[in-house]
Amino acid sequence: MTPTTIDRRVLEAELNAVGQRLAGASRAVQHPVRALDERAMRLASRDRELRAALFRLVDVTPATRGLDDLGHHLAGLIGELDEAPLALEKAMSAAHTKAGRIALGAAVAAGVRHMSHRFIVGTSAHEARGELRRMWEGGIASTVDLLGEVTVAAAEADAYRDRCLEALEQLASACAELPEREVLESDSLGPIPRANLSVKVSALTPLLRPEAPERGAADAATRLRPLLARARELGAHLHLDMESLDTREATLDVMFRLLDDQEFRDGPSAGLVLQAYLRDSPAQLERVIEWAAASPRRPAPTIRLVKGAYWDHEVAEARQHGWQAPVFTDKAECDRNFEALTARLLEARPDVRVAIGSHNLRSLAHAIALNRVGGSDDRDLELQVLRGLGDDLAESLAAEGLRVRVYCPVGELVAGMAYLVRRLLENTSNESFLSAQASGVPLEELLAAP
Amino acid sequence: MSPFRNEPILELRRSPQREALTDALRALDATLPLGVPVLIGGDAGVEEGIESSDPGAPDRLVATAGAAGETEVAAAVGAAAEAGRAWSRRPAAERAAILDAAAASLRERRLELAALEVRECAKPWPEADADVCEAIDFLSYYAREALTLESGPDLIQVAGERNSMRHVGRGVVAVISPWNFPLAIPAGMTAAALAAGNAVVLKPAEQSPGCALRLVEVLHESGVPSDALALLPGYGEAGAALVRHPGVHMIAFTGSSAVGLEIIRSAAETPAGQGHVKRVLAEMGGKNCVIVDADADLDEVVPAVVRSAFAYAGQKCSACSRVLAHEAIADQLTERLAGAIATLEVGQAERFGADVPPVIEREAAERVNRYRDAAAVEGRLVTVGEEVPAEGWFCPPALAADLPADAELLRDEVFGPLLSLERVAGVEEACDRVEALPFALTGGLFARNPDTVAAVAARTPVGNLYVNRHITGAMVGRQPFGGNRLSGIGEKAGGPGYLLQFTEPRVLSENTMRHGLVVD
Repeated sequence: MTPTTIDRRVLEAELNAVGQRLAGASRAVQHPVRALDERAMRLASRDRELRAALFRLVDVTPATRGLDDLGHHLAGLIGELDEAPLALEKAMSAAHTKAGRIALGAAVAAGVRHMSHRFIVGTSAHEARGELRRMWEGGIASTVDLLGEVTVAAAEADAYRDRCLEALEQLASACAELPEREVLESDSLGPIPRANLSVKVSALTPLLRPEAPERGAADAATRLRPLLARARELGAHLHLDMESLDTREATLDVMFRLLDDQEFRDGPSAGLVLQAYLRDSPAQLERVIEWAAASPRRPAPTIRLVKGAYWDHEVAEARQHGWQAPVFTDKAECDRNFEALTARLLEARPDVRVAIGSHNLRSLAHAIALNRVGGSDDRDLELQVLRGLGDDLAESLAAEGLRVRVYCPVGELVAGMAYLVRRLLENTSNESFLSAQASGVPLEELLAAP
Repeated sequence: MSPFRNEPILELRRSPQREALTDALRALDATLPLGVPVLIGGDAGVEEGIESSDPGAPDRLVATAGAAGETEVAAAVGAAAEAGRAWSRRPAAERAAILDAAAASLRERRLELAALEVRECAKPWPEADADVCEAIDFLSYYAREALTLESGPDLIQVAGERNSMRHVGRGVVAVISPWNFPLAIPAGMTAAALAAGNAVVLKPAEQSPGCALRLVEVLHESGVPSDALALLPGYGEAGAALVRHPGVHMIAFTGSSAVGLEIIRSAAETPAGQGHVKRVLAEMGGKNCVIVDADADLDEVVPAVVRSAFAYAGQKCSACSRVLAHEAIADQLTERLAGAIATLEVGQAERFGADVPPVIEREAAERVNRYRDAAAVEGRLVTVGEEVPAEGWFCPPALAADLPADAELLRDEVFGPLLSLERVAGVEEACDRVEALPFALTGGLFARNPDTVAAVAARTPVGNLYVNRHITGAMVGRQPFGGNRLSGIGEKAGGPGYLLQFTEPRVLSENTMRHGLVVD
């Protein structure tokens, strides 16, 4: 299958049909609680200053000592606003007394807890098993991500490795009891593991240095190796997440190096991530495909295509250093690249397995339609969404009979803050597909070619 | 002239940029040692008397330089006095264009210059590259400042009189520069003096004559007259003679407090025949503290403190040497800092990824070791980095704690990879300790309540306070840099107002009324 032979009109027609169905199904399953949350996020996306204050408040919450202290922080952050919404202004008068601050603090704490539950499944893989089982029974697979603090010391990296080993055990045992779900556990290349863990290189080593990727890669390899070995024994899938551009070389380096090792020639199932917002992502994809094609190991690696979650960081860092931003700053350009990379990935099968991670209805529908129009089986394409952002989508993708996997972070609130703030940023950014969707942009426009 | 913008540092996360630097180092090595003559009015003197070597491989000679004495000082100041008058008469736009051309020339040679810093001063690549960029920044920033200065301030004008004010160069400026930013600091002081219309006699640190030579060459090639800029490599005596010389109008110095205070004393003399008071600009030491409040995000604190304290082996006047931690997080911070310090790689500056390079010379290593040994006796060494290479002036990075209030380590500037941590009851107590210090250069604060940030900013005497980030790496035009109290006198480098100090103001008031006729 090559995209050049595909009739553009046929593709767009199929894409629209898929998109309409996904959107229809997702509206039907809208939860009232989520709607409430969405309103708060809409408010935040309208007022940049308020948004920043709210993020900083959410961010500092776990580090505060008691509700009074949290109340003080709230008052301090709101006090910085040039103009606070009237209701907020009124509420702040309570901050002058200790009792008032405690009440405000309690409200904030409850809000943050509520929000974190939306994005974070539980404090451990063990605690999350009930929710993961519920999802599986509803036709939705998962990958678990262990939230952790920034790794600055060897002992912290060891502790993260041990948590990952434990999570692999817990996931494997929990998955053994799951009922069969044909769509979720096989494609035309063979079986697909039920247990799926996503890990981060930055958590596996304190030695990441952008100017010396081999140093971090070598150190991370010592901890990733036992994880791969255990995943192979347990029949679990291990996915290496991608983070900021500063760590990309180390991430690819460690994965290529280990998966090429004789020890892992026959497993485990493993995967990498490609970030479509990077300007040089097409070249990176060629590099990954070339590697996968040359590799004798089986099963084929899963390549998860995402837009990328560090856009604000990459842009700010580049501006501070006077560099050209490494990411697309034009949304349409980025979306077009996403579709081009999707096409290239689908064409690279069976050397790779393809997972498309997005909340953009158009991007998902494009991948599904392209796969179908090209004559491939639905099973040979996986869709991925994030817990808390893509829950409705996951349900409608499952209803369409597709394999969908939800990325489920587990961990303590403190450790989850960076993750939570990234998600909030994504959800309230003006560029965000979700925010366009929530603000009532017509479906035809959402599905239009970028 | 285009508006100022900071020179972008290299994107070292991309391998082609790293390879280009490695190639430049290989090419440089083939040319070492450099010969650095005393340069006065275009006449090059001998190139022997001083040897600068690679701190990581003391047997490797990087440069041999002449050692200026009283005779050379007198000749240089004499030539500069003459040349300075002509240079001062040139329009600011001409001087600015020359400095801008020099900035362009440094830009073209940036890889080679970074390589020279790696060799001569053991600056690791990212630091060496940043130093070259800062030198470029100073040249282009002061070039533009000279244009602003020449346009003069607005004075009140009334009918019948015409008032104007201009700033002219003071005459001969002695620039005495350190080795730790071997291009940027001499470039900054020299460029400011030249931009404002002075002649310069540059006496660089004896540890980095090679870098100074490159700077002077570039300035000469770009059009600074050879006698308006003299290079006097030399030891401390040459600097002292220069400061004493009655033909010097101003001294711009960056270095230790001991030397700085001595310069201020010496420059205050007005011997017979000296018809002016010398002005001194001195950027001196620091004992810089980072305050960590209970609500700080230790995930951010640890990397930022480690970078502030140990990058370039702590040999920056802005480096962090004391952490004042809120008792609620002190234990956790101590443990995580210790763990992070243990991961630091002590290694050669040319190795990408080396975290702690050697210190500049044997005496420096001995000084650091002495303070560290004392801290072990008076308090406790929480961690000391592991083995260091046998050859070269390496010191393991270390963290000390539980020191008595009067410990020397809490008071003296050590200028090495040695950090101390104290536990405080709160931010107030931390501020008390900062205020008790005679130094006030940089400071850091990690806190996430805006009210706390405002309170500390209002109270702290430091010249540069950094909030929720590392405390080194001030950028020209973005973070004008300089300390207060015993840390320095004068306006901040890389900021508005700096150039004014290199000038003397002259006001012209003309009566334009004649027999009731007013000429506008």
